[in-house]
Amino acid sequence: MSKQSTLLSAHDLHKHYHMGGEDLHILRGVDLTVKRNEWLAIIGSSGSGKSTLLHLLGGLDRPSQGQVYFDGDVVDMKRNSALDRYRNRDVGFVFQFYHLLPELTTLENVMLSRMVNSGVLGWLSVRAQVKERATQLLEQMGLSHRLKHRPNKLSGGERQRVAIARALLNEPPLLLADEPTGNLDADTGGQILELLQELHAGGQTIVMVTHDPKIAAAADRQLILERGRLQ
Amino acid sequence: MYKLLLIGKYLRRKLAPMFAALAVMLCTAMVMIVISVMGGFLTMMRASAQTLTGQITVYSDLTGFEGYKKLSELLLEHPDIEAATPLIRSYGLIKLHDVTKTVEVIGIEPATFTQVTGYRESLYWSKDDYLQMLDKMSPPLDERTPEIQKGIDRWKKSYDQMDLVEAGMTFQIPKPWSVGAIEYGCVMGIEVNPWNVRTDTGRYGIQNAGLGLPITLTVLPLAQSGSLQTLSPSVRKFAVVNEFKSGLYDVDANRVCVPFAVLQEMLDMHPKQVWETFDPQTGEPAGDPTIMPARISELMIQGRDGVALDQLKDDVQTIVNAFIASHRQQSPLWVQTWEERHATLLGAVEKEKGLLTVLFAIISVVAIVMIAVIFYMIVQDKTRDIGTLRAIGASRSGVASIFLGYGLAIGIVGSALGFALAASIVLNLNEIQDILFKLFGFKMWDPSVYYFERIPSQLDPKEVTIILLASVFSSLVGSVVPAWRASRQDPVEALRYE
Repeated sequence: MSKQSTLLSAHDLHKHYHMGGEDLHILRGVDLTVKRNEWLAIIGSSGSGKSTLLHLLGGLDRPSQGQVYFDGDVVDMKRNSALDRYRNRDVGFVFQFYHLLPELTTLENVMLSRMVNSGVLGWLSVRAQVKERATQLLEQMGLSHRLKHRPNKLSGGERQRVAIARALLNEPPLLLADEPTGNLDADTGGQILELLQELHAGGQTIVMVTHDPKIAAAADRQLILERGRLQ
Repeated sequence: MYKLLLIGKYLRRKLAPMFAALAVMLCTAMVMIVISVMGGFLTMMRASAQTLTGQITVYSDLTGFEGYKKLSELLLEHPDIEAATPLIRSYGLIKLHDVTKTVEVIGIEPATFTQVTGYRESLYWSKDDYLQMLDKMSPPLDERTPEIQKGIDRWKKSYDQMDLVEAGMTFQIPKPWSVGAIEYGCVMGIEVNPWNVRTDTGRYGIQNAGLGLPITLTVLPLAQSGSLQTLSPSVRKFAVVNEFKSGLYDVDANRVCVPFAVLQEMLDMHPKQVWETFDPQTGEPAGDPTIMPARISELMIQGRDGVALDQLKDDVQTIVNAFIASHRQQSPLWVQTWEERHATLLGAVEKEKGLLTVLFAIISVVAIVMIAVIFYMIVQDKTRDIGTLRAIGASRSGVASIFLGYGLAIGIVGSALGFALAASIVLNLNEIQDILFKLFGFKMWDPSVYYFERIPSQLDPKEVTIILLASVFSSLVGSVVPAWRASRQDPVEALRYE
């Protein structure tokens, strides 16, 4: 497989929302191609539909029209089980507000994405390996001293690093990041950006949406989303 | 696997599941306590009813029936019948000290009566009660002078001769008692004597017992025709030789047992010679007398162990029918099992138990709604977590099963705690009542209303299991709607939820 082969593409994506009796046409025919190992940044102002586009690409939401292709195959948006599997194995999400589960420790939060696709017996057979990989990832993120801590004991930057570790646990080919630095101060945001750069350098394909052109500048390629269309 | 992890974490870290478990616990305990007390009440009533009447009763009206000895012989020939005892039942007045009260009087032959009923076991006093009282009242060994010791020994010897159980079984007055010209003893229900009070040990105190006291019994004999045979009532004095405690308050407060033959005579039901012709000159009886056979009110029958009651009743009915056909029998005879005899009472309690169970089941619906509301709040609280789980690939059914499993876990924890609470209350119900009575003077259980002096209760394993399963199931039902809502949550909306 060529290093520059297409990993993800979207054709003529439309998304309508019905709110208060009004039809909101958020995405108006988005075409997009993401190559393997590429870091693509999508820039857009607030309300431009960039998060919606990321949700459609990650199978969290279904397009009103159009198709998403992953690794050459169309992503089956009709079957819930196919979408669940796609989100779990092919895609890793990083959100602006981290979305860690407050009851779980750092380590458990990271291991959660592997637990989701295991039954009790299956989990028992892989638990030790998963724990080792999660610990490695957290060490890589500089959080080896925070394994047993709950999210409320971590700083914003630390939480985002835990979220990135969780997104990477299943070794998904694609990392989708929704304003990963949006909730962090400049220094911490810079650290997260460095981390993404490291991952990209290691071969990780990343699609990141942000409203900040400076953050987007770190990516290989930038696209601007305006009024539901990519410029 | 994540479901188990999250169920465990949610159970440990939130106040809401504690309230849900508390609701399940209280409902489980409430239903279990009610069922246990009602069940205990019913079981005790059934046991007492069976103990007091034997398995089958052949009975007539108040005038009684003849030929009972023959009938008894015929019945005892049946291989499944172990014992039969004749009984005379009437109503009368007793005078004890200066207290006069109405009582049910039964004439019994203790030897056979105890084969059919639990009579011997129900006799309350034995000589040990006297000996224990003497021990309690005597000064300590080191304070006893030779004279005191001599007195104690004398009393001990005297009490040693008082076999009260034997006296209850024979109606013979124990030798050391001095009761004047009274010939026979009687056995009263323990509550007939108004001075009988229970001590702190739960037993009645012998110092207040009516033992040795003379009572005057008055009964009205009935002619075989059913009319009052004489205007002069039949009066006789008895000495109380023992008291019985059946456990059924109504019986213990109203029944007096006297010797069969004595009551038969008092009620003019004994065998006697009757002359139909009289000498017109002298007015003396003339010619051969007619023998009027003895009569009784009922015949109680005890079957062998394991014999089917309905089958036994049918067999007895057949024997009674043959007896009626071959004897001159004026009064009608009925055959009833002990269950039929007490059907009104037992049926009422059974229906009451069923009704209460339904009422409390309805109350339990409130618990289901409470659980649903609590779970709805929990799902609301966990909306973002649901979004996160969906984002990392959790399925809708997986999310639903977290909350269903959560409901199941709360049901199991709540019903287990409910069982523990119910068991600790049910097993100590009477002690709790005693404490409440001592502290506040409040008595939950009035024996004069509820037949039994102590609160009956039983934890029936079958009923307990059903209640536990129903509680767990109720919790599960309560969590279905919130779980369904969680599974239908749009992950995008859930992630945006604040």
